[in-house]
Amino acid sequence: MKLLETKLREKPVQFLPGHLGIVAIRVNADAHRDVLKVLLNADEKTAVSAISGLDLGVNLGVFYHIRTSNAIITIQAEVPKEKPKIATITDLVPGAAFHEMEVADLLGVVFEGHPCPARFVLPDNWPQGVYPLRKDIKSGDIKLNPATTSDGEASDDGKLVRIVIGPQHPALLEPEKFAVRVEGEIVRAVEPRIGYVHRGVEKAAESRTYLQDVYLVERICGICNSCHATAFVETVEKILKTEVPPRGKYLRTIILELNRLHSHLLTLGHAGLEIGYETLFQYFWRDREPIMDLTEMVTGNRVISSSLTVGGVRRDLKESDIPKIKAVLADLRKKLPFYTQIYRNEPSLKMRMQKVGTLSREDALKLNVVGPVARGSGVDIDVRRDEPYEAYGEIPFKVITYKAGDTWARMNVRMDEVEESISIIEYALDHLPAGAYRVKVPRVVPAGEAVNRVEAPRGELFYYVKSNGSAYPERVKVRTPTFANIPAFLKTAIGESIADIPPNFVSLDPCFSCTDR
Amino acid sequence: MINITTWARTKSPWVLHFNTGACNGCDIEVVALLTPKYDVERFGVKLEPSPRHADVLLTTGAVTHQCTDRLKRIYEQMPQPKFVVAIGACACAGGVFQDCYNVVGGVDKAIPVNAYIPGCPPRPEAILDGVVKLLGSLQTPKKTKGRGEIKRP
Repeated sequence: MKLLETKLREKPVQFLPGHLGIVAIRVNADAHRDVLKVLLNADEKTAVSAISGLDLGVNLGVFYHIRTSNAIITIQAEVPKEKPKIATITDLVPGAAFHEMEVADLLGVVFEGHPCPARFVLPDNWPQGVYPLRKDIKSGDIKLNPATTSDGEASDDGKLVRIVIGPQHPALLEPEKFAVRVEGEIVRAVEPRIGYVHRGVEKAAESRTYLQDVYLVERICGICNSCHATAFVETVEKILKTEVPPRGKYLRTIILELNRLHSHLLTLGHAGLEIGYETLFQYFWRDREPIMDLTEMVTGNRVISSSLTVGGVRRDLKESDIPKIKAVLADLRKKLPFYTQIYRNEPSLKMRMQKVGTLSREDALKLNVVGPVARGSGVDIDVRRDEPYEAYGEIPFKVITYKAGDTWARMNVRMDEVEESISIIEYALDHLPAGAYRVKVPRVVPAGEAVNRVEAPRGELFYYVKSNGSAYPERVKVRTPTFANIPAFLKTAIGESIADIPPNFVSLDPCFSCTDR
Repeated sequence: MINITTWARTKSPWVLHFNTGACNGCDIEVVALLTPKYDVERFGVKLEPSPRHADVLLTTGAVTHQCTDRLKRIYEQMPQPKFVVAIGACACAGGVFQDCYNVVGGVDKAIPVNAYIPGCPPRPEAILDGVVKLLGSLQTPKKTKGRGEIKRP
């Protein structure tokens, strides 16, 4: 902070102390690059967490949320609505390319110098010049052009053959399209097209109350739903300045870790399926079922729990359930050495995963990847430790990192995190404080804004909420971990065999319903 | 008296799963059906990757505009007779995503649907029950409306 102030003294920037929880800097258009350069030089872990676009009436706001190793800094720039142009930052931070494309698509901000400005999340037949996140657009008024089904044909232009994977494909559980250009067996280029699951949750959140939004944001992703709910309610609590009672915090931690357990077991099994090791898939999913039952016991539902609310959790944990939870976890812990040994030593698995999709530490930092993908490349980041939320500050746990950076390392990070998660839940159950588990909060949230981060199973999940003093939020911005991790796949798939795409891709633990929202 | 094709169809329906913009909650429950605890293969149900070999289309999600045409194409590629099951509140009527700018709101707005399984997400047992009920209805043939080719603009 000191450093920023000295370095930026002559620049046209304005510091907003105590704003947004941490640090906010208001800049004139194009000074954002200078601020970013200072931050990039100061800390190697500086990365763009998200870029949120806002409709501020006359102007459009472009907020750059930058994370460093110990803080979140928001650079606020504004551009006029008639001429929404701002200089790109992709030359400084290559990982910002997707963020800029999204803001361009949804708000119509033109990023000058962006390498490939193209339609990104909206459908192909979306009308030109309509930007859904602007306030004057009502969802009923939009007239779509006639549907086109040009998914692009598989083609052969001389040396490179174009293969289209998706939107419906056996290897993809979700509808997304990746067009791969191959030379023989070797991948030379990957063209992603996301947006098949884009529902417009950010816009919908503006027309629902804060309480209704909890249920909406949970349904951004059915796998890490509790993480979305936590991230959202914490952001609202920051604006409300509400403190959750300790028991509520511990119960939330337990729910979050159960979420992580089931998500990691799901991915570890799914990776087995993708490399043709179906037995492993069936084994992992068999052992995932008791975790689903535990989630049901604690929250009331198997998948989408809806157990978190602004001010705490919605139901208490029965004292008599604690031994049952511990028994299931002890049972899973007993089975773990078997799985760990498979992921460490099984030769066929190592042949499919080692030295596949290698992402070096430099590239991981440059592409701003998060979560197990970053930790598999030796980047030591974990929001649970770096910026503790809920009860994580009081619970001891290890942050797992591997140096290899390949598919095998990323899967082993998850394998080791399963054990850490079990320990965290056991510790939380042993130290569960007594008392209230929720506090009452007003329905109307005072004007304000806040940013918040949560470590979801796939990595850092980022929320930005702006309130205008009514019962409805002004803007909810969600940046999900897969959105930040896809550039890693686009980078590592190139130069490798086409058969390496499935294991490489699944090692990101991709979740497109998160990515598209 | 049921004929041999109906018997064969009800004993080994091959299903295709297509996500039309769901949150993954229902999709994971569909996959969970295949795993040891629920084991849907004991009813002869097999998850089939290609629409051209599938009898039943399991759809999830509120149908986004980008997916609508793809969903119709997949439906058209399936051989007759074909059945569509809408899994989850979103696939039934749009669910929590009603009035979002990029969703159609329900699978039956794009293609004809034979069975609806509500829930957010429905439990694997409920999905299993829905599929079994659909198969049971084949054994007592009755006239159904709205089947066949879909109208395209």
